[in-house]
Amino acid sequence: MKRIGILSLFLIRDLFRSLAGIVPLAVGFTFYAIAFEYGMDQAQFITVAGVGLGAICLLTVLLLTGRANRASFYPFAARLPRRSELLAAVVVGSLAVTSVIAFLMTEVALLQHKLTLDFPSALWIIPTWLAFWLFVAALALPLSSLVSRDGSHMVGYVFITALLVANDRRSFLEERRLHWLSRAVTAVLWPVATLLAQASAGSHDRSYLLAIVLTVGYAGLLFGLAVALLRHKDLLWPE
Amino acid sequence: MLRASELTKRFGSTLALDRLSLDVPAGAVFGLLGPNGSGKTTFLKLVMGFIFPDAGQVARGKLSTAQIGYLSEHAFYPTRFAVRDYLTTLARVGGPAYSSAGGNTLRREIDRLLAQLGLEEFAGRRLGALSRGTLQRVGLAQVLLGNPDLILLDEPVLGLDPAAQKFMRDQIVALHLAGKTIFLCSHNLDEVTRVCTHVAVLKQGRLVRAGPLPDLLGTRSQIIITIGSLPPGLPSTLAALSPGIAVGSSPRGVAEEKSPRGVAEEKSPRGAAEREGQVTLDDDARAYKAQVLRLLLDAGVDVLRLDERQTSLEEIYLQVTGPARSPGRETP
Repeated sequence: MKRIGILSLFLIRDLFRSLAGIVPLAVGFTFYAIAFEYGMDQAQFITVAGVGLGAICLLTVLLLTGRANRASFYPFAARLPRRSELLAAVVVGSLAVTSVIAFLMTEVALLQHKLTLDFPSALWIIPTWLAFWLFVAALALPLSSLVSRDGSHMVGYVFITALLVANDRRSFLEERRLHWLSRAVTAVLWPVATLLAQASAGSHDRSYLLAIVLTVGYAGLLFGLAVALLRHKDLLWPE
Repeated sequence: MLRASELTKRFGSTLALDRLSLDVPAGAVFGLLGPNGSGKTTFLKLVMGFIFPDAGQVARGKLSTAQIGYLSEHAFYPTRFAVRDYLTTLARVGGPAYSSAGGNTLRREIDRLLAQLGLEEFAGRRLGALSRGTLQRVGLAQVLLGNPDLILLDEPVLGLDPAAQKFMRDQIVALHLAGKTIFLCSHNLDEVTRVCTHVAVLKQGRLVRAGPLPDLLGTRSQIIITIGSLPPGLPSTLAALSPGIAVGSSPRGVAEEKSPRGVAEEKSPRGAAEREGQVTLDDDARAYKAQVLRLLLDAGVDVLRLDERQTSLEEIYLQVTGPARSPGRETP
C-alpha cells in the first residue's frame, strides 16, 4: 500500500512537472467557467459537476498511464513485484487529482456564491462521487495505451460509444421492437444512473446503497480486466 | 544464477531469439556480444520480465525482479527530478532493503551511493541538466539501490568518453570483486576482454559461441612466421597447401591483396627481393607448419622469427558472426 502511494505521488509529480499537467487544470477551469456561469443548486451540482469531474478523472488516468508508458519509467517497472500495483497507483493518483480539483471548484463556487449546499445532506456527495470516479478511473484503464493489447482499447471506445448512443435512443430501439436491447442497456447502466439520480434527489435509500455497491463492483471488474490485459503484455516503451 | 532454456521470442515476423539456452554462473561477469538486432537487449528484457517469451523460459533462481539491477541502453530519465529525489523515490518504491528503512537510514544509503559514484555535487541537480556520463552514473546508482545480487547492464559504456568508460569498467570490476554476478551486453570488445570472465555471442537470435573467456581465446591461435625476401611464385605454392595460409607484409611492409584462392600476394613496385613479410597459418592450417617451414627454407627464404599468437576476441567475434547482416532485421 505504501509503495502504491509513493508510486502514485511520483506519477502525479511527473505529470504536473510536464506540459501535459496543464490539461486537467485547464479542463477543470473551462468546465467551471461554463457549468457555473449561472450557478448551481445541490441537485445539479451532484450530477453535472460529478460527471464533469468524472471526465477529468478519466483524462487524468489516461495522462498518468501515458507517463508510466515511457522508457524513463523502466526503473520503476523493474521494481514492482506486481504490475497491478502500477494500475492501483494510477487509480489512486487520478482520484487524488480529481478530488483536489473538485475541492477547489467547490470552494471557489461557494465563495462566488454560485453554489448552495445543504449540510449535512451535502456530505452524501463524497461517497457518491468517489464511487462514480472510481468506476470512471477503472473504466479508463483498459482504454489506455499502457494497458491495451492489439488495439483492444479501440474495442472499448466503440463499445462505450455504442452503449451511450443506445441509451440515448432507447425510444428508437423500442419502436424497432428491440425491447431486449433497450432493457439490456438500461440494466447495464442502472447502477451508475441510479447512483447519480438518487443522490441528486437526496434519496439515500436501499437502491442508492445497492447502486454504490454495484458501481464499485463494476470498478472492480474493470480493474480486474485491466490487470489481466497488462499482466502478460510486452512492455515496449516508446523511446 | 541465471539460466535460459530454449528461449524463443518473436516480434511479428521477426525472430528476435531462436531457442537460446544460456547459463550464467554466480559470480561471473558475463558478456553478451552480437551485431545490432541480434537479440541482446531482447534477452535482457525477458530476464527482467518486461516482455514474455513465446517459448522456453528464464530461471532466475530465487531472485525477484526487485533484486536484479538493470541499466537500460538508453539514458531516459524523468528530466525534471533532482538526482537525490529520483533515487530516493526509486528506493522507496522497490528496494526491499529500504522498504522498511527509516528516512535517515535511506538518506545515509543514498549518500553512500552518491559518494561511491562521485555524484555528491550533482545530488540537487535536475536529471535533465546532466551530461551523458553523469546520467550513466545515476543509472548505475539506481542499479545498485537495494544491493542486488544480479546486475544487468545494456551497453554500459555506450556514448561515454574514455575517462567515463574507465570509471564504468572500474565499477564493474569492483562489483565483481564484491561477489556480484554481472551480465552485460556490449559492442565494445575491448571492454568485454578486460572485464568479462565469460562470453557468449549471438547472431540473428541464435547462440553461436559461449564459454569462459580464457577458454574461448585459447581455442584458436595463429602461427606467424616472419620472413625476409620472398621469391615470386612461392605464395601460390603455399596457398595450394591450405586456404588457412596467408602470405603478407609485416607491419612496416608493403600493401597486400588476397588472391582468389585466399592467399595474400604483395603488390610492390620494388620487386620480390626487397620484400619482407610474414606467413600466417591460422588454426585450421597448423598441421602445415613443418611443411611451410621446409618450403621456405628450401627456397632460401630467411626465416627471421616464429611466433604463436592467441586469437583476439575481435577475430573470434568476426569469425562467428560472419558477414554483415542483411538490413531490416531490427528488434525492439
